[in-house]
Amino acid sequence: MKNSSGRLDVQRLIYLRDLLRELVVRDLKVRYKRSVLGFAWALVTPLMFLTVFYFVFKVALSVDIPRFGPYAFTGMLVYSWFQSSVSQASGAITDSRELMKQPGFSAAVLPAVTVITNLIHFLFALPLLMLFLLVDGTGLKSVILLLPVVIAIQFVLTLGLGYLAAAGNVLFRDTEHLVAVLLQLLFFLTPVFYNASMVPERYQSLYRLNPMVHLVEAYRAILLGGTWPSGLDLLSLGVLATGLLYVGHKVFINLSYRFVEEL
Amino acid sequence: MTHAIVVEGLAKQFRSYHADRPRTLKEAFVRRLQHMQAGESFWALRDVSFDVKPGQIVGIVGSNGAGKSTLLRLIGGVGRPDKGHVKIQGRVAALLDLGTGFHPELTGHENVFVTGVIAGLTRRQVTQRLDSIVAFAELERFIDSPLRTYSTGMQLRLAFAIGIHTTPDVLLIDEVLAVGDLAFQQKCLARIRQFKADNCAIILISHDTGQIRELCDKALWLRRGRLVAQGDPESIVEQYVAEMESETKRKTPVEWPVRATPAGSVLRMHENRFGSMELEIVSVRLVDQQGRSVIEFRSGDPLHVEIDYSAPQRIEAPTFGVTISSEDDQVCADLSTAAAGISLPVLQGEGRITLHLERLDLNGGQYYVDVGAYTSNWEYAYDYHWHTYPLTVLPTNNKKGVLYPPHRWEFSDTP
Repeated sequence: MKNSSGRLDVQRLIYLRDLLRELVVRDLKVRYKRSVLGFAWALVTPLMFLTVFYFVFKVALSVDIPRFGPYAFTGMLVYSWFQSSVSQASGAITDSRELMKQPGFSAAVLPAVTVITNLIHFLFALPLLMLFLLVDGTGLKSVILLLPVVIAIQFVLTLGLGYLAAAGNVLFRDTEHLVAVLLQLLFFLTPVFYNASMVPERYQSLYRLNPMVHLVEAYRAILLGGTWPSGLDLLSLGVLATGLLYVGHKVFINLSYRFVEEL
Repeated sequence: MTHAIVVEGLAKQFRSYHADRPRTLKEAFVRRLQHMQAGESFWALRDVSFDVKPGQIVGIVGSNGAGKSTLLRLIGGVGRPDKGHVKIQGRVAALLDLGTGFHPELTGHENVFVTGVIAGLTRRQVTQRLDSIVAFAELERFIDSPLRTYSTGMQLRLAFAIGIHTTPDVLLIDEVLAVGDLAFQQKCLARIRQFKADNCAIILISHDTGQIRELCDKALWLRRGRLVAQGDPESIVEQYVAEMESETKRKTPVEWPVRATPAGSVLRMHENRFGSMELEIVSVRLVDQQGRSVIEFRSGDPLHVEIDYSAPQRIEAPTFGVTISSEDDQVCADLSTAAAGISLPVLQGEGRITLHLERLDLNGGQYYVDVGAYTSNWEYAYDYHWHTYPLTVLPTNNKKGVLYPPHRWEFSDTP
């Protein structure tokens, strides 16, 4: 009656792709329904932040970083993708009680939906950043072909943390608030509007435990410097991200069973 | 033929999460200080075994909290059993909570895609079935309006239409066959029969024992998580209804004032009146078109049964029923709000329920109108008046039988 298992897997993949696509599209449509600017908010928000940052750090505090606009904009786009994804993912299970109770529903797509939705915002703003770079004469080098790899690493890392946050929120509803605060603090511990080299030498090894430091630097190397990012950095980030995703997914699946029983 | 569903020794234990499990760190900390025990647990299901073949419909009856929905969820793979296991052949679809995934701001069309994919269809399948789904829900004119402009009935019709446009091998249905008006319900039932003809194995939870008898090949009776009996739907439903009757008798108070009805009958507990009295039927009037009380009645005339009730406490969605039976206890009509697909709101205080019979073509003779109010799932009666309200139908020129349909004879000498 059934096709061979190989055929079924392909069907399953097509189905999961469709499920992700529909949920992402629903999220995007719902978010911008009835708003005047609609999807343009994906550009307006970071531009507003950038304006204030530029004023505070360049004009008022006169931080000594060349091309501060594109510099801060890169950091901000990268970090806000990460921050929005993880904080929204922390409510992925607890806010979707109905979906979780649906037989056959793959709950594991939910955190992926939030990461992809925010990735789309990120990708939407990326051309604006590139335009900045062209205008201020930096231009784009061939190393930009490496960009998808860095994006992929960030995707896996974010999704892994998203699974953990979602699962943690099932155990304790404090997780959501805790995650929001931690993400806010981590923002300051990531070189978004300053340079990592400004951190004193004796704190460097501790400071560099934050994977976002390496990610943001990799993006900047590719986009602003036109140079290859540290291969060792990327490799260890990739390994860390994959490990996190593996563990996060496992914990998530186990706790999502528990969640549907809390009825 | 192999089985589509095999359930073996299934057991499920629930810890009372609600009250006892700490939800926040602070609560967890306070608990530790107070040396409180982890929550108590209870068995929602115990040692349940049965199987379903492809093309079989199995009905589950049982009172609220008997574990029916838990059983359906475990079969659907939601949650893990503590003991035993469930084996499923093929793809599972479910009509449990209709409208899961609906968003009020999106149009009907957009919602069909999201909900269809959540229900297990690919986008291509939804596209192919879109017209059929919309036609089934009878929403062609509204499909591009936002869902928030739909009535509850329209939303449920759409949700149901999406649910039955899947092609499952196993279908789980929880109390959703009472969506929409009677014509829509008939359409739904026809679709369920089509699933059966297509060799789909179906498990159906319903409080409507008539539906179980009519649709199912087998019935299961659950009581407090245990399988009391399984087998022929006719006999299972009979046992279940018998238990409901004895439950009503058990709940009927012994000390209760005797009451006389306006028509001169007397209502005595355990004689012609049964029920827990949480909701009381205060008065029952049989009236004609002009609103006059009738005892004698001409065949073919309309009849209205006015039931005044009084509910001192809140009564959650009760069911009202009216049965007309002849003197020799033959049931001529057995009508209820539940069978008509009407769900009443929470009742509190006093009010009136009226059954309008457009015409009653009973043969001449002596009849009784029995009136009852029941819990939403027919577990027991709140108040049931048996053989208290007589109805005399004036003699007709029909000598035997219970019906006197409107009729005429026609003669012609050419065939």
